[in-house]
Amino acid sequence: MQGIPTVLITVEPEESAQARPPRALYPKGFIAGHSLGRPRDEALQKWIILDALGLLTADPRPGEVVARDYS
Amino acid sequence: MEKPLELSRYCVPFTPFKKRLEDALVCLVSTAGVRKKDDRPYVLEGDTTFRTIGGEVVAEDLAVDDTHYDHGCIDKDLNCVFPIDRLRSLGREQRIAGLTEQHFAMGFSQNLKEVRDTTVPQIARAVVATRPDAVLLTGG
Repeated sequence: MQGIPTVLITVEPEESAQARPPRALYPKGFIAGHSLGRPRDEALQKWIILDALGLLTADPRPGEVVARDYS
Repeated sequence: MEKPLELSRYCVPFTPFKKRLEDALVCLVSTAGVRKKDDRPYVLEGDTTFRTIGGEVVAEDLAVDDTHYDHGCIDKDLNCVFPIDRLRSLGREQRIAGLTEQHFAMGFSQNLKEVRDTTVPQIARAVVATRPDAVLLTGG
């Protein structure tokens, strides 16, 4: 089977780290129900998506959950 | 029945990304209990099935069946957990090539064995069939 590059956006970094994801972003302080940020805040949501997708082209840190602050 | 893929307990299953983001088709996969409004609802007490979501849908076409996280934000904007409109917007801006023709979601389940042995391999095969360059995974 051929692999597909994946990236995870998680609000439960400790649980996600146990699964050793190949790439993962934790937007600090966000919780389940708004893992992509505030409702109708298109700029913030796209910023988070681009940061997550940016992990695809960044130096590999497999198994690590990258935490970033969006406050 | 095809034997489920056995992952290493020690190695991270890392697949390199060899394209530019601007050339990448992205598939969205979520465990947030998202489905099309006209699709079959998830069983709230536990459901190991998954739903296919067409690439043409907008967030307004979608519903969520879940009782495990606060819906205050998604009731206003489902992009908070399933950012289909935002990815499409990034496609229009040519930050990504676009979206695949199908996306996938599942709901809450504590039957982790069935999820691992059956549901996840089914979703993985469905994802492969859409030929994405990358997959964005979201939870609730």
